[in-house]
Amino acid sequence: MQRPHLRRTSREHELSFAFPDTPAEAGKDILSRHLRLTSRFWKAFWVLLLLFGVGLLGLALRILGGFDDRAAWGYEAALFAYLLTTAQSAPLVSIAMRIVRNHWRRPLARLSEVFAVVGILNLLLFFPLLMTLPPQEGRKSMWFGWPGSPHIYDSLAIIFLVLCGLAILLFTSMPDMAVLREQASGRLKGIARRLSLGWVGSGREWKKLNLGLGYLGALYFILLIGVHALVSMDFAMSLVPGWIDSIFPAFHALSGLQSAVATIIFSMFLMRAIGGYREYFGLDQFWALSKLLLAFSLLWFYFWWSTFWVYWYGRAPSEVSVLKLIMFGPYAVPFFLSFGLNFVVPFGLMLWNVARRSIKWPTIAAASILVGTFFDRIRLYVSAFSVEDVTGHALESIPATHFPDLIDVLIYVGFFSGSILMYMVASKVVPIISMWEVKEWLRLRVVRTFLRTEVAVVAKPE
Amino acid sequence: MQERTAIPDSKINSDLLRGLLGTPMWWWVAVIVLALIVGAGVASVAITFNMGLGLWEIHRPIMWGIMIVNFVFWIGISHAGVMISAILRLSYAEWRRPVTRAAEILTVFSLMIAMVHPLIHAGRPWRLAYWFLPYDFPRGIWPSIRSPAVWDPSAIFTYLTGSSLFVLIALIPDMAVARDRTTGWRHYLYSVASLGFRGTPRQWKLQTIAGILLSGLLLPVFVSVHSIVSWDFATMVSVGGWHATIFAPYFVIGAVLSGVSAVVTVMALMRWLFHWEDYIRPEHFDALGRLLIAIAMGWLFFFVLEFFVAIYTKEPAELALREMQLFQWPYNVLFTIFIFAALIIPVPIWVSRKMRRNITVMFITSILVNVGMWLERFIIIIPSLARKQDLTFVWSTYHPSIFEISIVAASFALVGLLLLLFSKVFPLMPLFEQKEGQRFAAQIRVGRRSIPGVVREE
Repeated sequence: MQRPHLRRTSREHELSFAFPDTPAEAGKDILSRHLRLTSRFWKAFWVLLLLFGVGLLGLALRILGGFDDRAAWGYEAALFAYLLTTAQSAPLVSIAMRIVRNHWRRPLARLSEVFAVVGILNLLLFFPLLMTLPPQEGRKSMWFGWPGSPHIYDSLAIIFLVLCGLAILLFTSMPDMAVLREQASGRLKGIARRLSLGWVGSGREWKKLNLGLGYLGALYFILLIGVHALVSMDFAMSLVPGWIDSIFPAFHALSGLQSAVATIIFSMFLMRAIGGYREYFGLDQFWALSKLLLAFSLLWFYFWWSTFWVYWYGRAPSEVSVLKLIMFGPYAVPFFLSFGLNFVVPFGLMLWNVARRSIKWPTIAAASILVGTFFDRIRLYVSAFSVEDVTGHALESIPATHFPDLIDVLIYVGFFSGSILMYMVASKVVPIISMWEVKEWLRLRVVRTFLRTEVAVVAKPE
Repeated sequence: MQERTAIPDSKINSDLLRGLLGTPMWWWVAVIVLALIVGAGVASVAITFNMGLGLWEIHRPIMWGIMIVNFVFWIGISHAGVMISAILRLSYAEWRRPVTRAAEILTVFSLMIAMVHPLIHAGRPWRLAYWFLPYDFPRGIWPSIRSPAVWDPSAIFTYLTGSSLFVLIALIPDMAVARDRTTGWRHYLYSVASLGFRGTPRQWKLQTIAGILLSGLLLPVFVSVHSIVSWDFATMVSVGGWHATIFAPYFVIGAVLSGVSAVVTVMALMRWLFHWEDYIRPEHFDALGRLLIAIAMGWLFFFVLEFFVAIYTKEPAELALREMQLFQWPYNVLFTIFIFAALIIPVPIWVSRKMRRNITVMFITSILVNVGMWLERFIIIIPSLARKQDLTFVWSTYHPSIFEISIVAASFALVGLLLLLFSKVFPLMPLFEQKEGQRFAAQIRVGRRSIPGVVREE
């Protein structure tokens, strides 16, 4: 016997949805939640705006201090890399899952894509950082002294990445914005009218949307990996004489994938806990993403080990110096924190299916990774920016630990607040749950009796 | 869109056990031809052992010839089993069903053959006994525990044991089917191999859990095997081009590329030779083609990083080596063939859905990839040794001898021969997976359309 709709149950089970059964009801439910604007939202908005202003003040003070003292910009470089690794990498979760046609991605697709807006904020950090890069004469550079490098090419790559992320968000939101255009009121109606780009939902439009999302997704993936490679080489590896580590750009990108999954898991938890969308982020999503978290945590170790092992076994003096700088010397504390939080904790937790198949443990593992990545970027970028003499074949002396000053603290507080603020605002313009994707899911998935049990049957139209 | 048709269990049994119960003429012809090539290889090995390694063209500084190239290549092919079988099993990919057995046995056979290469290359394999029985205590002649001679075989043996168990556990239900349909020695063999399998719910549960557990356990082992092989090269600071931190994942993803391509080759052959058109369908090649695009792009990323960071160093030795690989005869020609065969020709072809669903095209491109990947190993190993270090007193190129070539040819023939012999005793495609797939198939009505669907397994 085929049941047209999913059953409501109180259990946390992959067959159960607490949200409405039918596509029409689901659309209505998401819309009503989206249009609800609480006083708590406005309070958070003003506080975050204030803190963001403090951050901008900090950045202005740092810029006024000049670009010659590269070490002073180390923490800003780490912050830029951290936002790239977490927020700007987060849309990849939706993109990758769309490419492999997973259905469980649907409630979290928009949650992931909205992170693209944080890229705009990261550009504010990126451009001043470019000014701190030393000239290429006498040092190793991946650009081999090409005219305009690295400033023009790095800028173009990062701007295209941000634009591509925003284009994906715009494209994927069109059907939902068309609904808002009809159902919302006031200023939001006007915004929705513009952002829906005249969407009427014809068969041709749907075909174009799916095709466009496929191409844009592939482009974003390539751009993101490319930007990780550029940033890791231009802002870290090439600033340290003797640091010749071919896996480092790949490690950087992989860390981005791990942090992207962690970002989404943690965001799903927040959306359940305080965002008002508890019913849409269930065990299905946490369980599936926790498997990826386990895989990426293992890969994190594998990539790190590849560097460590070849350097340690090779015993070349230049490589031993690099190991001291980024792992066992002045930045040993952030390194060991990163090692523990990026690998030991998530691996130890996610190894067990009982932990993976829960809400709490993947969230703890995700939080651990987000903190670990923060320390990882500090040990990589602050250490690289601390090196004074960037010429030569090997690191002559290991610089001492560089600690953050008050301006660094202001910038960190401001930019973290700014990122949250931008996300919050964007999520109030674009529905944070993709209505059309959830509705499509409800049409493609039914529960049927199979022997003596009930199973989910998933249609495979492609 | 899934193209499956409803097939009754009895037809699945008769179709998939066809290889066991009948012997067509082509099978005999193929076995004889392959056995002749293997025989020539065995003769070359015997002559080498008798006359010494001086018969080969290896010389200072190129002491590792195509025997080591072929060793790395076959280790790479062995990654087919875990990549296809374990990962697709863990991710519940429905299209895995006809592919898994071929991938798993390819792993076992290629690992067995890979292991033989260093032994032959050692020249005096019977001296392996010293490894197990250290004989000269006073002079401290003990095998070094840190040596690759310890860690390489350890990793490979672990992988071989795990992969063999993987194959055996997946075979149990099929052995029970074969047991109930055979007499004589076959009945006895299948009775033993089926381990008393009767198809009770408990037995099915245990068999499924064992398969999933082994899949999970084999994944780190498969990564470790090729990583350890890569570190044989990467930890040597003195050889230009080898001391690269990216070598381990670069070798692993290259291995996965060649392993999955080899599975495509074997699947196409199985479809043609055993007439399994209802089981190995264009949709499976389509899915494998998409997987190959992703793997090839990942491999390209690592290849570019490896090559680019080597140039980035601006070290004269590195630059000279890369110049040699790209511009010096015969490496320039081999490099060009490698990059075209492994990447530039196949990947754009796979982008087209029509091409991915064309089995002849997939067969040809899968072979091309493996030609390219074999040459990639050659390009990594030989030119680097030819420019070993500044004080090397003789620089020359390397031309493999007829003995080495015949042993390499025999290794390919031996894999084919073992697959054919396996097909006479065991089903090349899992029967139970096909039957399960039939039961998990469903149709869902969406609006006015009926769309094929599957029962979600987890």
